[in-house]
Amino acid sequence: MRRALGIGLWLLMAAAAVGAFLLVPHLISDFHSRDLAEAGVFFIAIVGLNLLTGYTGQISLGHGALMAIGGYTTAALVVHEHWRDVWTIPLAGIAAGIVGFLIGLPALRLSGLYLALATFAFAVAMPSLLKKFSGLTGGSQGLSFLESSPFQVTGLKGTVTVFGHTTTANHFLYYLTWGIGLVGLAIAWLIVRGRFGRAFRAIRDSESAAASAGVNLPLYKTLAFALSGVYAGVAGSLFAIQSEIVNPLSFTVLLSILLVVGAVVGGLGSLPGLVIGALFIKYLPSLAGHVSTRPGVPDFIYGAAIILVVILLPGGAGGLLRRLFAPLTTWLYTRP
Amino acid sequence: MILAFDWSQLAQQTVIGLSSGALWALLALAIVLIYRSTGVVNFAQGEMAMLSTFVAWSLVHHGLSFWEAFFATVALSFCGGVAIERAVIRPVERAPVLTIVIVTLGLVFVVDGISRWAWSSETRSLPNAFSTRPIQVAGVAFSIQDFGNIAVSLGLVLLVGVFFRYTKIGLALRASAANPQESRLLGVRVSWMIALGWGLAAALGAVAGLLTAPALASFDQNLMQPVLLYALAGAVLGGLESPVGAVVGSLLLGVFINLVGTYVDWVGNDLRLPVALVMILGVLLVKPSGLFGRSTVRRV
Amino acid sequence: MKFLYTAAGLVCALALATVASGAGTGTPGVSPTEIVIGGTVPMTGVAQAFKTVGLGASYYFKYVNAHGGVNHRKIKYILKDDQYDPAQTMAKTRELVEQDHVFAIFNSLGTEHNLATRPYLNAVGVPQLFVASGANTFGTDYKQYKWTIGYQPSYRAEGTIYGRYVAKTAPKSRIAVLYQNDDYGKALLTGLTRGLGKRAKQVVAKQSYNADDSSVQSQIAKLKSSKANTLMLFATPAFAIQAYRYSYQLGWRPKVYVNVVSSASNIMGLAQIASTKKEVEGSISIDFVKDPTDRRWAKDPGIKLYRSIMKRYKDKGISANDPYNVYGMSVAHTFVQALKKAGKNPTRDSIMKAATHLTIRNDPFLLPGVVVRTTSSDHFPLDQARLERWHNGHWVSFGGLFRVR
Repeated sequence: MRRALGIGLWLLMAAAAVGAFLLVPHLISDFHSRDLAEAGVFFIAIVGLNLLTGYTGQISLGHGALMAIGGYTTAALVVHEHWRDVWTIPLAGIAAGIVGFLIGLPALRLSGLYLALATFAFAVAMPSLLKKFSGLTGGSQGLSFLESSPFQVTGLKGTVTVFGHTTTANHFLYYLTWGIGLVGLAIAWLIVRGRFGRAFRAIRDSESAAASAGVNLPLYKTLAFALSGVYAGVAGSLFAIQSEIVNPLSFTVLLSILLVVGAVVGGLGSLPGLVIGALFIKYLPSLAGHVSTRPGVPDFIYGAAIILVVILLPGGAGGLLRRLFAPLTTWLYTRP
Repeated sequence: MILAFDWSQLAQQTVIGLSSGALWALLALAIVLIYRSTGVVNFAQGEMAMLSTFVAWSLVHHGLSFWEAFFATVALSFCGGVAIERAVIRPVERAPVLTIVIVTLGLVFVVDGISRWAWSSETRSLPNAFSTRPIQVAGVAFSIQDFGNIAVSLGLVLLVGVFFRYTKIGLALRASAANPQESRLLGVRVSWMIALGWGLAAALGAVAGLLTAPALASFDQNLMQPVLLYALAGAVLGGLESPVGAVVGSLLLGVFINLVGTYVDWVGNDLRLPVALVMILGVLLVKPSGLFGRSTVRRV
Repeated sequence: MKFLYTAAGLVCALALATVASGAGTGTPGVSPTEIVIGGTVPMTGVAQAFKTVGLGASYYFKYVNAHGGVNHRKIKYILKDDQYDPAQTMAKTRELVEQDHVFAIFNSLGTEHNLATRPYLNAVGVPQLFVASGANTFGTDYKQYKWTIGYQPSYRAEGTIYGRYVAKTAPKSRIAVLYQNDDYGKALLTGLTRGLGKRAKQVVAKQSYNADDSSVQSQIAKLKSSKANTLMLFATPAFAIQAYRYSYQLGWRPKVYVNVVSSASNIMGLAQIASTKKEVEGSISIDFVKDPTDRRWAKDPGIKLYRSIMKRYKDKGISANDPYNVYGMSVAHTFVQALKKAGKNPTRDSIMKAATHLTIRNDPFLLPGVVVRTTSSDHFPLDQARLERWHNGHWVSFGGLFRVR
C-alpha cells in the first residue's frame, strides 16, 4: 500500500515537473523565457557533468571546452554548410561526445587532482586553439549566424511554427532547450538506475573494489566521459543557437568553472537538485550585479556565494532536498 | 651551414625562456608548497599573489622602498594566507577533493573582487627589484633582473628544502599531509599545520607577484592570470611534490615553449598556452610524478 | 482553471498593449520626461578597463540632465555588463531592446560584440549608435546596415596614417610590427600595409601575441633579429610598455610608432620608467581626443569641464586620469547634439537622420580643430587626427589634422 503511494507520489512529481515545464512560459514575460532557456543550457551540461563527476567521481574542469566543441560544430554547419540550426544539435552532441571519449582515454591514468589539472589546462588552452583554426572557426571574430546564414536561424522572423502551433521565438527556444533537458534528464535517470549507474557508483566509491568485483573500469570510465561530452555538446549547440553567434571569448575557463560550480551546488550524485544548480549559475552574476556596481563587489559576492553554498550545503541542493524529504521517504519505504 | 644558423637567436630565446620560466617558478613553488603540505592545488594562488602585489604598491606609494615593502608584504601575505585558510578552508578540511577545488575557485573571484574594489583598474608599475640595465655577452642580452629572479627562485627552493627536511615544523607539516590521522595521534596539530602551509604558500606567492610585476614592466589585476597555467604546467613537469621540480620544471618549460614558438612556425606565438597544455598532459600520462617526484604506489 | 487562463491571458494582452504603445508617444524609450538608451560594456572580467568608455558617457549625461536635459527630457543611459563575451552582448542587447525598451543602443563596446548584435538590431530597426569599436566596417557597410554607425577613427585608418607617413618620410626604413592577434591588431596591420602602398615590402617582420598571454619578450627578440629599425606597436598598454622595456634590454632602439589605444601620457610615462628616456623619445602616435594626463591641456576649458564633471559625478573607484572617460564624454556630447537635432519628438528615424548629418565643431573633449562630421555618404564621425611625437616626457603635435579613411 505504501509502495503504491510512493509510486503515486513519484508520478505526481514527474507530472508536476512536466506541467511546470509546459506552463511556465505563459506565466512569465516572453523575454524571461529566453533567460530560462539560457539556464536550460547550463542544466543540460550539468546533468552530463554530474554523470561524470557525481557518479564516477572523475573531476573535470574542462567541460566548457566540450561545450565549445558542440557550439562550434553547430556554427560551422550553419555558417559553412548552411544547415538549419536545430538539425545540427545531434551532430554537435556526437562531436563533443567523441572528444569526451578521447579525453576519457588518457583520463584513465589520471585521478582526482591530476585529472582536474589536465582538464583545467584543456579549458585554458581552448580559446587559443579556436583562434588558430580560423578557416573553420572564424578565428577571433567567430561565426555569426545572422551575418552569414540568417535563413538557417529558426525564429528569425520572431515566430516559429511547429506541427501547426505558432509560438514566439523566445518561447520556442525555451521549449526546445528544456524539452531536450527533460529528455536528457530522463535518459540520465534511466542510466543511473540501471547497470551503468551501479557500475558508475561502484567506481566512484572505490575503484579497486569495483575492479575486483568485475566492473570493467576503462569501459565505464570512458563511457562516462563520452556521455557527459554528448550532453555538453548538445548544451553548447543550444547555446550557439540561442546566441546566434560563437566566439572564442564565450568559451574561456570561466565557463568550465561555472559548470563545475553548478554541478556541485545542484548536488553531485543526485539528479533533482540540478535544476537549482543551473538557476544558481545563471542568475547569480546578475543578482550580484544588482547589489552593487562598484568595481569588485559583484565578483566578491559571486565568489563568496559559491564558497558559502559549498561549505554550508556540501551535498548541494540535491542533498538538501533529500534531507527535507527524508521523513517522507522513510515513512514510505519502511515497514511499520 | 652551421654558421648560417642564427646561434645568437637560439641563445637569446633560451635566455628569455629561462627568464620567463623563473617567474613561473616562483608561483609554481607556492603551488607545490600548498600541495605538499595540504594535498590541495590552490587555483587562487595567482590571484592571491596579485593582491600581494597591490599591497606592496600601496606601501611603496606611501614612501617605503621596494625592499622594505617587499618584506612587509611577504609577512602580511603570510598572515593573509593563514587567515584565508582558517576562514574558508578549515570548514572543508576533510571534505572531498572536489569541494576544496571549488572553494579555491570561489576564492579566485573573492580575491579578484577585493583587489578591484580596493584599487582602480588603471595600469601601474612597481619599482624594479633588480637592475634592468642590459648586459650583452656574445650577442645575447640579459639583465641583472633575469639573474636575480632565477637566483631568488633557487634560493627559495633551498630554503623550502631545508625547512622541510631539517626543521621540526617542516617535518610536522610533511607528516600531517602524508598521514593526518597518525600525526594527530602523535600530537601534531594538523589543523594548524595546514594553516601554516597556506601562510607559507601565500608568502611565496607574494614573492612571485612582487618579482613578476617589475619583470613585466607594468601590472594590473590581470597580472597573474596567464602565469597560473604556466606555473601549473611547470609544477606538474617537475613533480607536484617537489620544490626543486617546480623550479627546474618551470625553467625547462620556459625554454621549451620559447624555442618551440620560435622554430615551429605553426605553433608560433598563437599556441603557447596549448603547448603548456600538451606538456601537462604528456607528463601526467608518461610519468605523473614528474621529473623529480617519486612514483607513489597506492596500497589497495 | 478556465478563469485562471483567461485572467493570465488578459494580463498578457495588457502587457503587450502597454509595450506596443510605448507609453504614449509611440516610440520606445521616449516619454515626455525621459529618453532611455542602453549599451553594453565589460564591467567585470579581464577587459573591465574599458568600462570607462561607457561610464564616462554616463557622467556626461548626468551633467546634461542637471542642466535641464534635452528638450525637457532627461537621458537615462542603462549600462549592462557583457563581460566582454559576444554571446552575452547579444543577450544583454536583447534585454535592452525587448525588456527595457530602449530608444537606441548607444556606445556599446567591442568589435566582435557589436558585429554580433548588428544584424539583430538592424533587423528590428533599433539604432546602433556610435559603436565603440575601431573596426572599419561600421563606417563602410551602412548600405547593408542602415541603423549602425561608428564613432572613433578606425584602426585601419590609423595604420594607414602611419604607413603613409613612413613611406613619405623614411622610404628606406625597415619596419617590424608587434600586433595583437585579434581584429584590433590585424586592422592596424592591414591599414599599415595599405598606407605603405607600393612600399609594403618595408615590413620585414611581423609578430603577433594573444591578449591572454603573459609576455612578449620572445616576440621582441625575434623582431629585433630581423634588423628592422622601425617598430610598430599595435598592442594594448601592458604589452606596449613591455615592448619598450624589452627593446631597451636587447639594446635595440628603433623608431617607435605606438597606436592610440596605448599612447596616453600616463602609459608613456610608465614605458619611460620601464626603459629609458631615450628609448621612448621620438615615438610617434596619433591623437584625436584630449588626454587628461597631458600637461598641454592643464588649463584647457574642455579638460576643466571634464574634471569638474568627474569630480561631481564619477563613481567610487574610477580614476579621472583614465582617458577612456574623456572619449566617453565626447561620444555622449555628440549624442546630445544628435538628439537635439532629432527634433522635439525624436523617433528612431529622426535620430538616425540626425546622426548621419552631423557637423559638430565645438566638442570640448576632442583636439582643437577636429570636427565631428557625417553625411549620407560619410559614416565616419571622427576621421581626423593629428600626428604627435613624444618629446622630453610629453606629446607634441606636428603637422596638420589628417583626414583619413
